[in-house]
Amino acid sequence: MADYDVLIIGAGCGGLSVGSLLAKKGRKVLIIEQSDRIGGCCSTFEKDGFLFDLGASLIEDAEVINWAFERLGTTLWKEVDLVACDPVYTVILKDGTKIKYPISSEGTAQAISKISPEDGKRWFEYAKHMQGFLDAAFKGFFTAPVNTVADMVKMFARTPALLKYGPMFAASYQDVIEKYFKDERIRESLSYQTFYGGLPPELCPGYIAMIPWSEHDGIHYSKGGMIGIPEAFMRCGKKFGMEVKLNTLVKKVIIKDKKAVGVALSDGTEITSDLVISDINAKKLYLDLIGEEHLPRLALIGVKSYEYSMATPMFYLGVDYEPPLEGHHTLMTVPMEEMSDYWWNQYKKNQYPHEQFGIISWTSGSDPSLAPKGSHVIILTLAPGPYKLNGTTWDKEKPVLMERIIEYMSKKYIPGLADHVKVAMLSTPVDFEKRLLSPEGAIYALRQDVPHTTIFRPAAKSKSIKGLYLVGASTHPGGGVPTTIASGMIAEDLIEKYE
Amino acid sequence: MKSILAIIILLAGFLGFKNLRDSKKRFFKELLRQVPYLIPRYFV
Repeated sequence: MADYDVLIIGAGCGGLSVGSLLAKKGRKVLIIEQSDRIGGCCSTFEKDGFLFDLGASLIEDAEVINWAFERLGTTLWKEVDLVACDPVYTVILKDGTKIKYPISSEGTAQAISKISPEDGKRWFEYAKHMQGFLDAAFKGFFTAPVNTVADMVKMFARTPALLKYGPMFAASYQDVIEKYFKDERIRESLSYQTFYGGLPPELCPGYIAMIPWSEHDGIHYSKGGMIGIPEAFMRCGKKFGMEVKLNTLVKKVIIKDKKAVGVALSDGTEITSDLVISDINAKKLYLDLIGEEHLPRLALIGVKSYEYSMATPMFYLGVDYEPPLEGHHTLMTVPMEEMSDYWWNQYKKNQYPHEQFGIISWTSGSDPSLAPKGSHVIILTLAPGPYKLNGTTWDKEKPVLMERIIEYMSKKYIPGLADHVKVAMLSTPVDFEKRLLSPEGAIYALRQDVPHTTIFRPAAKSKSIKGLYLVGASTHPGGGVPTTIASGMIAEDLIEKYE
Repeated sequence: MKSILAIIILLAGFLGFKNLRDSKKRFFKELLRQVPYLIPRYFV
C-alpha cells in the first residue's frame, strides 16, 4: 500500500488548489515544496521590516479563484482579505501623458474620450466583444481540460460561442488593439498587458487583448501580501488532512511499468503514492525528474521543443517617505512598436536597459501594514529580462543597474525616490531560477503563443506516464494566478473521472 | 488541374505574405517556425 494517495511536487497556487480539493474528496495528500515558503511566484517575503511580493502583484478574474474556494465549501472573500484597486491603473505614457483608468467602464470611456472621442466610443465596442469572449471562455475554455482533439471538439460543442472568437487566436495582441483603437496614445496605454501573455504585442496571441477589459471586472490585492491566496488554500487543505512539507527537494519521480508510483527525495528517502501531480516546470519534470528513457520518441521531441517563457526582473524597494504615486498600480509604457523592437533588438540579443517600461506596485498604499510606520513598499515589475547577458553576468551588473534604475525612476516616475531608499533588492532571472528552481527564471514556465497552447501545451493528464498529472503554468490554461488555480480544478476533475 | 490549383494557392499565399507589414510577417514566421513541433507536442 502506498504512503499517500496523492503526492504533489511544488506548493504553488496550482499544487495547493488541487491538493486542497483532493483532500476534501477524502484523499490522503502530501505536497512537497523545495523552498522555505509556499506560493511559488505568488508569495511574499520579509526584509528589514518590509513585506515584499515576490512576483504576482495583483488578482484578476477573482471569479475563477472563487470557484475553487466554493468547491472547498467557502468563498475567496471569506478566506482572503481583499482590497479593490481603483483606479485599475494610472498609465504614464512615454511622452509623459497620464491616463487614469478607473474600474468603471463608463469612467474609462471618459478617460479615453479626453484624448480621442472616437476611441472613447470604440471602447464600448471593444468591451462588448471581450465580455462575450469572457462569458464563453471562463467556463468553456479556462476551466475545462484541453488534452486531446476530442476535448477540443467537446469544448466547442458545449460552448459554440467560442467559435466566434477563433480569429483572436490567429491574430496578435497588437492586431486586436489596433482594430478597436486608432489613437496612438490610447493604443500605448493598453499595450503593457501583452506581457501578461509573456510576449510582445506583435507576437502575443490576440485573445490576451481581453485583459485590459477583464480588469474592469475588478482587480484586487491581498492584504498582508499576495501569499494570502496560497495560504488560504493551504489552510483549507489542512482542515481536510492535507500535509505540506517545506525545504524538501524531489530529485526523481519513481516510474514503474510506465506509471508514476512516488518520488525520491534529495536525501535518498522514497515516498510512494498512487498518483503524482507536478506543479513544476513541465520541461524540467519530464527531462530531469522522469528522464528521457521513460518517454516515447514523439513525446520526447515535443518536450525538448518547448521554449521557456520570458523572465521578469523584479525590483523591491523599501522607502522612508510616501511616494507621489496615484494608486496601487502605475504602468510605465512605451508604444507597442517599441516594445516589440525591445524584444528583438535587446532582449533577444541578451541586453538589458536601465530605461524601463513595466509596472510600479505601491502595495503599502493599499495595505500600510506591509511597511514600518511612515515607510512604504514599492515593487517594480521591470521589462522582460534575458537569462544571460551579453559579455557580462547579472551578478556583475546588478549593483550598477540598481543604481541607474533608481536614478531613472526618480527622474521620470517617482520624484524623490533616490533620496529615500532604505531597502533595495533586485531579483534577476538567475535569482528566480535559484529561488524557485524555475529554469531560466521563466515566470510562465513555457511560452504562451498558440503553438504552446491548449492541445500543444503539456497535457494535464500525462499522455506518456500513467498516474501523472500536471498543474500550474506549464499546462492549460497557462501562467497567472487565476489560471494556475483553474489548472488545479481541471486536474481535480480529471482525477475524479479517471482515478 | 490539381497541381495548377496548388501552384495558384501557393503563389497567392506568397504574395499575400509579401504584402503584410513586418510585424505581421514576424507573427506568422514565429508560428510557422514551430509547425514541425506541433505533432510531437500533442503527445506530451
